[in-house]
Amino acid sequence: MSRPFRRRVQHKGAIAIFIGPFAALFTLFYLLPVAYAVWQSTRTVERSGTFGPAEEVFGGLTQYREVIADEAFWGSVGRVLLFGVVQVPVMLGVALLLALLLDSPVVKGARFFRLAFFAPYAVPGVIAAIMWGFLYSPNLSPFTGVTREVDFLGSGLVLWSIANVVTWVYVGYNMLIIYSSLLAIPGEVYEAALLDGAGQWRIAWSVKIPLVLPAIILTGVFSIIGTLQLLAEPQVFRTFSTAVTSDYTPNLLVYTTAAVPNQPLAAAFSVVLALATFVLSFTFLKLTQRRAFQ
Amino acid sequence: MKITSPLLGAASVALLLTLAACGGDSGGGSGDEGAADGGGEAATACEPSDGEVTLTFFSWVPGIEGVVDLWNEQNPDIQVEVQTGPNGNSGTYQNFFNQLEAGNPPDLGQIEFDALPNFRVQDGLTDIGGCEGVMESQEKFVDWTWSQVQLGEENAVYAIPQDTGPMAMFYREDLFTEAGIEVPTTWEEYAAAAEQVRENDGYITNFSTSDINQFAGFVWQAGGSWFGNEGDSWQVGLDSEESVQVADYWNGLIQDDLVSTLPPWTTEWDNAYNSGDAWTWVSAVWGANSIMSGAPDTEGDWRVAPMPTWGDEQAAGNWGGSTTAVFKGSEHPHEAAQFALWLNTSEEAHEALIEAANLYPATTEGQQLPALSEGVPFYGDQKIYEVFTEAGATVPTEWTWGPTMTQVYNDVSDGFSAAASGNGSLAEALTSTQESTTSALESQGIPVGE
Repeated sequence: MSRPFRRRVQHKGAIAIFIGPFAALFTLFYLLPVAYAVWQSTRTVERSGTFGPAEEVFGGLTQYREVIADEAFWGSVGRVLLFGVVQVPVMLGVALLLALLLDSPVVKGARFFRLAFFAPYAVPGVIAAIMWGFLYSPNLSPFTGVTREVDFLGSGLVLWSIANVVTWVYVGYNMLIIYSSLLAIPGEVYEAALLDGAGQWRIAWSVKIPLVLPAIILTGVFSIIGTLQLLAEPQVFRTFSTAVTSDYTPNLLVYTTAAVPNQPLAAAFSVVLALATFVLSFTFLKLTQRRAFQ
Repeated sequence: MKITSPLLGAASVALLLTLAACGGDSGGGSGDEGAADGGGEAATACEPSDGEVTLTFFSWVPGIEGVVDLWNEQNPDIQVEVQTGPNGNSGTYQNFFNQLEAGNPPDLGQIEFDALPNFRVQDGLTDIGGCEGVMESQEKFVDWTWSQVQLGEENAVYAIPQDTGPMAMFYREDLFTEAGIEVPTTWEEYAAAAEQVRENDGYITNFSTSDINQFAGFVWQAGGSWFGNEGDSWQVGLDSEESVQVADYWNGLIQDDLVSTLPPWTTEWDNAYNSGDAWTWVSAVWGANSIMSGAPDTEGDWRVAPMPTWGDEQAAGNWGGSTTAVFKGSEHPHEAAQFALWLNTSEEAHEALIEAANLYPATTEGQQLPALSEGVPFYGDQKIYEVFTEAGATVPTEWTWGPTMTQVYNDVSDGFSAAASGNGSLAEALTSTQESTTSALESQGIPVGE
């Protein structure tokens, strides 16, 4: 055991050079801001008189008590969870289906479709939201026949209208991850399946899907994180839908609170949201990894 | 944006705070400075700087660059660089707050009257009361504007008033005449006219559920005030009698589908005015410009009348109006104050601002300029500014803005939007905002009294 250990020490300088840039950027743009947010969330502002000077003092868990008591925050968390429970499976299901179709030997023009499916991801999220906003608009949409009858921007449907935009943008991206995982499956596996008499359906169901499960789970984790952090789409929709409130998603509430400006409370919201994201992603991985990564 | 990498994802939690992180200790530091010069006892020293000075000035007045060019030509030693962006509540105020937190705001910024107390409470403004010519300029301004920039302190001046927004009613004269409907002069007649307009497949107006300034203007007209800062604490009056009266009135019109509730300042909203779906707009003097740009097909069809009243007594609300403020941390308060004074009191600047953006000056002299007594072709050559001048004289003076207007607007807007979608009423939105505002103030250590 001692030999490899010694060898590692010899390369100390090389290791530092390789890790250094990452470590510096990681510290500067990740660890420090997180630490600052945590520190800020323990502050509270005190002043006296109508325009008395503000003084930031240590407030312990004051801000967290406000977070726990804040109905709007938990309402927004519930909203994105509902969004995620429906949108993530739909999006990943469609992504898997498209990936399998592209990978299937019977489909012609796979190269064209691969690009076509991926193209929406090249549209920035904000632009996509504005574009769909026009499509949904009751008076300006090219499909006013539909949009005048169905209120896509009303309080009943707007969450799913946003889900549709998110799905439209990200389905191609997730498809690409699953598709590249399909390409990595060695040809012998298919050969063996064919020799055993399996058809294309059977191969897809019993060979391809189990083998790309790790990729599906990876996209699942990304999607859960993305869902909890929805910001741009609802923020854009807010400008043309009265049903999207300033506390519609947790991140929008953080943004609104920071605009008050009440930075300590916004920081506390952020920390709680980050913890919730971590717990949820971790639970999802724990629940699924036994099957996927054996 | 949906974040699709766990690293970026987690980092984005803190993304909103990274700007603040650059500020380091400035939060605690500025508090101490506030204690030193925030009392308003002695105005801070305001000395000219040596040599050439370059100031940055953020404004969303359309065409402001051309106005500033006039200054730059005459003042080679004090050059002003213009930065432009969206209007205050659409993101600029948040930028200002972030820049203040990070310690690098522009030297000067456009701040509306309603946001001044917020910036003052956050200790973001330089007291320019001690700068040459500032105190002397008081007599030039309309009284209520000056008291709003002093924020209750005797020797302090936190901004120079730029424009005001007395309200009146823009209406489609052609549609009213064609349908044989009388132009309403009271809110009672307005509601009756709304029903007739609806029978003609139009809406009498669009009620803004998300830009709350219009509603605040209605309450202002009715003689209410959402805030007070008498004594050592703030008073919150969102659910005051006048406020609820106005809320119930509009709630009725929304319930009966007599007004539309499109989000304001959208293409959809412009379209409603351009296509003749909306027949009136009770708005401020600057609204004249909004209609011209948003509804170009209706040229010549609009006229302006005094806004409907609650009784026989004439009174108008005020919607908007800006100031030019010098931010905390500016290294050249003297030069900045000179520029702000020139921009908001000189005849050439006023003429240029009127020409560029129909700004209605906050000085009594500015309001008498020839440019404001001519007929406007878009409005059938009506001398529309005479209506606004008369309206301006009847704006109640009691109105006070609060220190957390961004939060108030958000909360009222959330409640109003819910009400427009059938959940609750406008009055309920005011009641819940009354509570949320009180707790928002208290959580920031701002004292709230009865």
